[in-house]
Amino acid sequence: MGAAAPEGAGGGPVISATGVVRRFGGVPVLDGVDLEVRRGELLGIVGPGGGGKTVLLKVLAGLLRPDGGEVVIDGASLAGLETDGRARLWERFGFLFQNYALFDFMTVGENVAFPLEQRRPRAPEDEIRARVATRLSEVDLPGTEALFPNELSGGMKKRVAMARATIADAEFLFYDDPTAGLDPVTSSKIFGLIARLHLPRGVSVVVSHDVDRMRAICRRFVMIDRGRVRFDGDLDAVHASDDEMVRTFFDESGLAL
Amino acid sequence: MTGAFTALGAMVLGVLELLGGLAILAARIGRAVLAFQLDRRETVRAFYNVGVKSWAIVALTAMFTGAIMVIQAGQFVSKAQATSFVGWAAGFAVLAEIGPVLIGLMFSGRVGANNTAELGTMVVTEQVDALRALAIDPLVYLVVPRFLAMVCMLFLLTALGDVFALLGGGITSHILIDVPFRVFIAQVVEARLLDEYLLGLAKGSVFGASIAVVSCYYGLGVSGGAVGVGRAVNNAVVVAAIGIFFTDLMVGLAWSQLWGS
Amino acid sequence: MGLLIAFRDALGLFFATWRWTFRGSLFRQRKVFLRQLHDIGNRSVLFITVTLGVLGVISVFQVLLQVERILPEFSVVGPAFIQTMVREFAPTITGLMIATRVGSGIAAELGSMVVTEQVDALRLCNADPVDYLVAPRFWACVLHTVLLTVYGGVVGVCCGAVVAHEVWEIPWTSFFSLRLVELSDAASGLMKATAYGMAIPIAAAQAGLETTGGSEGVGIATTRAVVNASFAVVVLDFLLSGLSFLLWFQGR
Repeated sequence: MGAAAPEGAGGGPVISATGVVRRFGGVPVLDGVDLEVRRGELLGIVGPGGGGKTVLLKVLAGLLRPDGGEVVIDGASLAGLETDGRARLWERFGFLFQNYALFDFMTVGENVAFPLEQRRPRAPEDEIRARVATRLSEVDLPGTEALFPNELSGGMKKRVAMARATIADAEFLFYDDPTAGLDPVTSSKIFGLIARLHLPRGVSVVVSHDVDRMRAICRRFVMIDRGRVRFDGDLDAVHASDDEMVRTFFDESGLAL
Repeated sequence: MTGAFTALGAMVLGVLELLGGLAILAARIGRAVLAFQLDRRETVRAFYNVGVKSWAIVALTAMFTGAIMVIQAGQFVSKAQATSFVGWAAGFAVLAEIGPVLIGLMFSGRVGANNTAELGTMVVTEQVDALRALAIDPLVYLVVPRFLAMVCMLFLLTALGDVFALLGGGITSHILIDVPFRVFIAQVVEARLLDEYLLGLAKGSVFGASIAVVSCYYGLGVSGGAVGVGRAVNNAVVVAAIGIFFTDLMVGLAWSQLWGS
Repeated sequence: MGLLIAFRDALGLFFATWRWTFRGSLFRQRKVFLRQLHDIGNRSVLFITVTLGVLGVISVFQVLLQVERILPEFSVVGPAFIQTMVREFAPTITGLMIATRVGSGIAAELGSMVVTEQVDALRLCNADPVDYLVAPRFWACVLHTVLLTVYGGVVGVCCGAVVAHEVWEIPWTSFFSLRLVELSDAASGLMKATAYGMAIPIAAAQAGLETTGGSEGVGIATTRAVVNASFAVVVLDFLLSGLSFLLWFQGR
């Protein structure tokens, strides 16, 4: 199960990507991305639409194979992992997908319980049910277990997806645009949840356009533009940056509210 | 019990609504074609797209169809010691019936489904609304060119497919039932199947028209994003298949009335 | 070229489906399996009734128009029609219809799941999409293709018999005769139905799982599923007709 996890922040990088390239139909969407994330970090990824943020997240999680470069997670290269090793690794991941990705052939309860039920050894049924109920009330949806995803509104689906992504207390939590199309109140709640569920020994990565709310919880920001890392640093570095686009991007987003 | 009646009623209403919608669209297309209202550049492009996309799969399907019919007919004629009939039997089945139907079904899958997907995507991404906002009639710009292309192309593809089908049949009879290729072709020629050939071509054009109307109807009626497009394509191919079988029956009946008198 | 790549991928998917079946996929996914059984049957029965019924009417009509010119009496028409139906048209036309109805449905469904990232979510939870999505659909489709072939054949023959009786006044008893149908014909028909039942969901699932892009992608995948599945039916028909001809006919 990998190296013994050091407690608290600091230490070496637990996720590192070097020179990652990924093309779709010959067009490079990621064009040589280098990125390192340490334990305990809550990282915000921003950037203009179509810049490759979602693809980067999926490459880092091992869902998409890079065409070039390497991703190393906790000392193991993703490319070198066999099916078994990848399964072991994926048990440590929670992923909130942009399009909710709730299984439409399962109820809400089954959806949220799914990551736990896939775990070996499997937890007893009662315990799973209790954890699902707790997590669902934490996202303000108590007692919705029997509903089907198509009976829910967009905001509710997003919160169910939050519950499913975080139910297994995974070390690596990736959120792809968690508040897209949501009202401000729900958005604030979701960012609060992200901050609360972040483990001190884990890594959380949030892709969002909601720079204002990200400021409150993220210490470090990475800006992806046209498949490359355009900026990497904290808010002080943003203001000190001599890159016009970076400053505008953060200021504009701030002014928008 | 009431539930069953409600469901039945809903189904009847659904069928009627569909038929009405198809008829209205067909009438509008017919009027536009007669008035020669169409975008010329789009029409040329539609002809090219339809032909290029489908000729290979149609030719392949036709070859296999001819081969299958020879095998099936071969079992009858060799049992009856009447191998001189194989050209007639297979030729008749292929030219009048199976050839046009299978080519039509394949064409519906390739071109009709693709058309629904294309139009559906344009609806979902609001391109059709954008055309309307520019005072361009989607019927003239999108539907009529595709309609004409499908009717003409399925006519031509049936003519071409028949040749490939006889080719496939000839090769199979040569290999499998000891009727040499040239003898098989001679049998087909001697059987005077011109009527059947023409019947097949008539069917091909009518199938083309019905596939075009159905696929445009479902394409323009898409709602509900990516899932909606998939569902529309699914419905379009199903209704087009039913349309092929029904128009097959109608054309066959009409032909026999004309030909019989 | 594209067809060859699709064939290679489909073959891989086919073996993966069997592998998951032997690992008890159907038992674990019995809920999905039962729902698929219900859905596929529900969606196709009416469709098969209409198409095979019309087919029976057309075929008998066309054949009798020809036969009345060359044969003095029609007692052979019914048995010969039934035989051809059993070994060729019932399985193949039903297969083509299922490729259209069920194949495009499977592709649209799986394609939508890819686009809405449900397939990614399954993988990240270490649930194989073949186990969860493909295997239940595969077996539901195999079962239904065989059952619907039998059903479609019966519908087609009955509709043909009505035409023969009403227009040419062929007696029911002379039409409904199984005297030409041999075991080999039934075997050939069943073999075809089973093969189509396996090929259709695999071709469709392969197209669906390879969906890329948004709504356009789902449309393209659905189109590709219909074409590939129908083409698979035609090719398998050719191969199996040839095979049964060599096995059961030429030997005699």
